[in-house]
Amino acid sequence: MDNNRQPASYGGPDAYQPDLYPDDPLDIWEKEGPADDHQPQWRATKSRVDEWMDVDFQFGGSRIKRKTIALIQLGAAAMVPLFFMLPSVVTLNSNTISVSGDDTLGTGAEMCLFLCLLVTPMVTLTGMRWFVPLRKWYGIMVAACAICDALGAGFTDTFAGGFLGRLAGHVFELMGFMMVMLLIPLLIISNTWAQRKLGRYWKRLQRLTYAIWALLALHLILLEGFGLERGANGSGFAGDGDPIFHQRLYQYSAASLFLLTLRLPPVRRWIVARRREGRNWLVWVTIAPTFALFMFAMIFIVNEEIFKGIDSFRETPSAE
Amino acid sequence: MSETYARDGQLQAAAGIVILMVTGLVAAVLVIAGLIYATGISGRHKAALAAAACEPNLSPSGLQCTDVGMLTAQYLAIVNPAMQQVNTDAATYTANERHDLGAAEAALTAEVASEHGLGARLAAFPFPPVMVPVANSLEQAIQARATLLAEQARSSSLTQLRSFSQRVKVANLAVQTEMKLLRQAVGTRPTASQEP
Repeated sequence: MDNNRQPASYGGPDAYQPDLYPDDPLDIWEKEGPADDHQPQWRATKSRVDEWMDVDFQFGGSRIKRKTIALIQLGAAAMVPLFFMLPSVVTLNSNTISVSGDDTLGTGAEMCLFLCLLVTPMVTLTGMRWFVPLRKWYGIMVAACAICDALGAGFTDTFAGGFLGRLAGHVFELMGFMMVMLLIPLLIISNTWAQRKLGRYWKRLQRLTYAIWALLALHLILLEGFGLERGANGSGFAGDGDPIFHQRLYQYSAASLFLLTLRLPPVRRWIVARRREGRNWLVWVTIAPTFALFMFAMIFIVNEEIFKGIDSFRETPSAE
Repeated sequence: MSETYARDGQLQAAAGIVILMVTGLVAAVLVIAGLIYATGISGRHKAALAAAACEPNLSPSGLQCTDVGMLTAQYLAIVNPAMQQVNTDAATYTANERHDLGAAEAALTAEVASEHGLGARLAAFPFPPVMVPVANSLEQAIQARATLLAEQARSSSLTQLRSFSQRVKVANLAVQTEMKLLRQAVGTRPTASQEP
């Protein structure tokens, strides 16, 4: 089987490296044998969009690839949570960091995690790979936001027990602390040198991302509960009138349904097969409701991030 | 071997479409329910605001739930420390106005800075539209007093310095009157006719 598969005809930092990317759509060929409609050479050609993105253009005095510009623009969004916190960090405003820093950075980390987890399904759906480097970038920003969130909570929260007590003194905090503890090694090995040194183990270690994804569910269950008994979940004002949309566990579940479904090998297999048959429309029609639900959830996660973030940026924090 | 692969592949493909159909169905129901729920946002918003004693006309952005207590607390958080500083500067001035020109002028300069700080913070305060005219009057009174104090601080003798006293008293009275009016406006719920 492997002998039949042709190496990708293009190079570059984001070239297909099956041992390095966890959860790659092509892994199923290696592990489980080909599907009935297996065509081993389909990966040898790049999609039209990938080719278009690889084209250089003149930018100032140098040449730059189109995808570089696109990646910078898409990647910049992940910096927003840290940017929102900048004024309160510069002015050492412990009140703002304590009251709305956890929401700004916590929601920011969640947003970046979902964007990171979105890359693989989008590769499965579109066959494009030009945006694959964003997975690493969003992953780094998940770690950055989560670590800053933990540090902010450890230094400024009002819980008893000193720094460690504020970090892990409550069960929901313990879940967050465990996520940070898993993110730190992932952040450390997120470079090419570590990829080379760790070889196939690198990919296995990267699967800790799924543990973080699961811990986030526990964190939110403990933080928000399953219901609406608090009546004002989410964006921090009781008069909102939309507790369901702002319930973070519901947002998480709605977003995760899409991300999880498109990771299931039978689903990926079916999508890849339909794509190769040229029936992309069927794929999109089938996944449309799940994708719509994902977008619905992401809109409210981003909404939460913007409102809490602006409060943090203006240093006028609003508690929940 | 290839038959096994083929059979497995067919099973996998069947499982894939079944999973997608089931999740798609669940997602479609949730999205439709969400859209139906979203149509009632406005009504629920108003009901929730009323239940939480929030006043839509106290919420400049129309998004934050602001009630009278919150607005009063925010306003006092700005005004109280500023007035404390102004009073301290005024006491320093009074202690020096008869024998130390330099110290008295320094106290006046500090008072001017405190007044400007208060004026700037009030200008940035999100007063509801109904209170904006009163707030503007207070800012103007504070500005006029600060201008007068700055002029007084440029006096070349203690006699000239004290000659401003009457004008400063009048300016103080204007600020106090406007401040009282604004405090009443902030601390009182608007009447039905003031609702937007």
